[in-house]
Amino acid sequence: MRLLRPSVLRQLRPPMVRLVDYLPEIDAQNRAIVGRLFATGGLARASVAADGVMHAAIRIRQDQLVYEPSIIVMPRGGELELAVANEDEAVHVLYLPSNGQRQVLVLLQQRAGTARLRLNAPGLYTIACAVGNHAGRGELGLILVQGDTPADARLDRPRQRRPGS
Amino acid sequence: MRHSPRLPSLAAAALVAAGTSCARPASTIPLTERARPASAYNARLGTGAPPVAATLDARRIGRARAEPQNWLTYHGTYDGQRFSALDQIDTANVASLRTAWVFQTGAVGLVASPATYALEGTPLVVDGVMFLSGFDGNVWALDAATGDLLWHYQYAVPLDVPLCCGNVNRGVAVARGKVFYATPNGHLLALDAASGRVVWDRVFLDVRAGESSTGAPLVVGDLVIAGSAGAEYGVRGHLDAFDLETGHTRWRRYTVPKPGEPGSESWPAGSDAWARGGGSTWVTGTYDPELDLLYWGIANPGPLFDGAPRAGADLYTNSIIALRPADGSIAWYFQISPHDQWDYDAVSEPILFDQGGRRLLAQFNKNGYLYILDRTTGRPVRVARFARATWADVDSLTGVPAVRLTPSATGTHICPGPAGAKEWNHATYDPRTGLLYAPVLEMCGTFTSRSREFREGVPYWGGSAVPDSTDRWGEVKAIDPSTGRQVWAWRGTHPMVASLLSTGGGLVFAGEPTGEILALDARTGAVRWRLQTGSGIHGSIMTYAVRGRQYVAVTTGWGGWVKGIAPELSAAPRGGALFVFALP
Repeated sequence: MRLLRPSVLRQLRPPMVRLVDYLPEIDAQNRAIVGRLFATGGLARASVAADGVMHAAIRIRQDQLVYEPSIIVMPRGGELELAVANEDEAVHVLYLPSNGQRQVLVLLQQRAGTARLRLNAPGLYTIACAVGNHAGRGELGLILVQGDTPADARLDRPRQRRPGS
Repeated sequence: MRHSPRLPSLAAAALVAAGTSCARPASTIPLTERARPASAYNARLGTGAPPVAATLDARRIGRARAEPQNWLTYHGTYDGQRFSALDQIDTANVASLRTAWVFQTGAVGLVASPATYALEGTPLVVDGVMFLSGFDGNVWALDAATGDLLWHYQYAVPLDVPLCCGNVNRGVAVARGKVFYATPNGHLLALDAASGRVVWDRVFLDVRAGESSTGAPLVVGDLVIAGSAGAEYGVRGHLDAFDLETGHTRWRRYTVPKPGEPGSESWPAGSDAWARGGGSTWVTGTYDPELDLLYWGIANPGPLFDGAPRAGADLYTNSIIALRPADGSIAWYFQISPHDQWDYDAVSEPILFDQGGRRLLAQFNKNGYLYILDRTTGRPVRVARFARATWADVDSLTGVPAVRLTPSATGTHICPGPAGAKEWNHATYDPRTGLLYAPVLEMCGTFTSRSREFREGVPYWGGSAVPDSTDRWGEVKAIDPSTGRQVWAWRGTHPMVASLLSTGGGLVFAGEPTGEILALDARTGAVRWRLQTGSGIHGSIMTYAVRGRQYVAVTTGWGGWVKGIAPELSAAPRGGALFVFALP
């Protein structure tokens, strides 16, 4: 485990602390509520292979209806090879964002597979299960693509202040 | 019961750390499955479109009037008249119109701005193939006679794309075997018109600055021209031209000059207000091939309602500009609402027509006035009020406004309201009647100004405007451009926010926010046909023919900036269907 960055500690404002404090109660199926919060399966950064393709892996554990990790960070736009393992005794069908056509990964019980996703722009994308209401129960994840607008597409103007600055 | 924190902050921090960086062992289940594209699960999807666009070029688009069976460019023809000579459907038989086919769109999963998505586009038709775009990155090729799906492309739109007003797209351009589509997050794509596959992908907007795209590109010569949205975020507006074969940038024309450039004297000296001065270009312009001039309407300045940081006329915001397509240089400009404080952006389509031996241009402006200009020089010919307008008295010859009312800290009641007397939805000109027809919002509002510091990428309104909840209605108005006088008006309950179509059959088609499509008699305004489509119409109507049969198509699916255009229908049923009608 790496040490927390000071910038992380600064994020621990009271609302954030309350969220974390509540998690044991609300981040479990059929306890405080019927489902659980989505995107609480942690975060992982995609690795970048020599050919430039990024890689990440997700597990769906038994009876949890959540992706682990549920937040995948791509350091830049490009292709992501995503591996998903369904360790559950339920069927899961992942709807995955990709330019051109959404990708659909069908996983019967105890099956695993891969998807190649093409996401070339910075931003936040969602992944979700199409079975039942698994997505509403918690099986809703995020892919964050980092990056900035290419220099030749930026506005020709002096640097402007951004929120929080 | 009051909840008591159980964990001190540092313990909570440790919990977060464990969740983010202690990876579990990899799964031991072998990777035997492979994702398939959604198209593999759509048995209704065809194998592609015939190569109808291969021979389509700008020269042919320039003669689009000669092939009324097609709708080759966003406004139907370069002149923006939205008139079709097709006359199979006419005033005598329009009551017999029946639904030929319906194409339903719908949304899967979370979409950006989920409360505002709407189907607003104008489909193009090229020799029996229809190209339609919609919300959430969708482009479809359809058989124009049957509605069969030939190909489908969906761009993955980031959930956090900065949108002004809605998750919408208003159309594509087609030429030289390619379909040009601007994504909400500012990628201009060239798709193969036969397969839907990407030919090139060019980033042209700065999403971190708040730019986005909703408009249809325009092909002129060997260029594809695309506008930008984002004046509400304090961007510096611009228009871009690309080589349509390669996607390489040919020119960029900023609509707000830098210090020292012509027009910069209209911005406060010693200030960088120009840098966030707005002036986006989000509605598709028009083009005169003989004069070789491109006409484009420019949006509001930033901040919208607070003029204090930008003393001056704020060129070229709220202007109509004529550009030379070769290099994007400005041939002339006419500023309609100098130093705008009402969000009366001048983005509405400049309609090109000839009358009395003069080459004219007409724009129904949001500010409630119709402007007729000489399109060779930009000089005003006539200005006439077409809706309630209390913000100013505008000189009928010069177009110069004597401003009466501006936003204030406590709120000022002003007409028109923030959506204007005409929204982006397009008017039409019928060369047979010689009349202009406009969808009108008769609605006022209360405008409040409020200073705020600029921060890049977040809304920069400088106040607010609340539309009236009473004493508001909509109209379709027929106006004689030679006098500026109203010839007839059809009045509806709600503001009219759908583009009109006029046809050789003597009809003007209109759409109501409650979902009815109307056919009006172009000479009298009498309703000849009416049909409820199930969801409000904030899109556009066009017509085409296949194998001698005329069709009328309308994009339905209520949404967009409904709080501004028709707040009384904010929670009205949503949708997203293309209805296509024909005679039995």
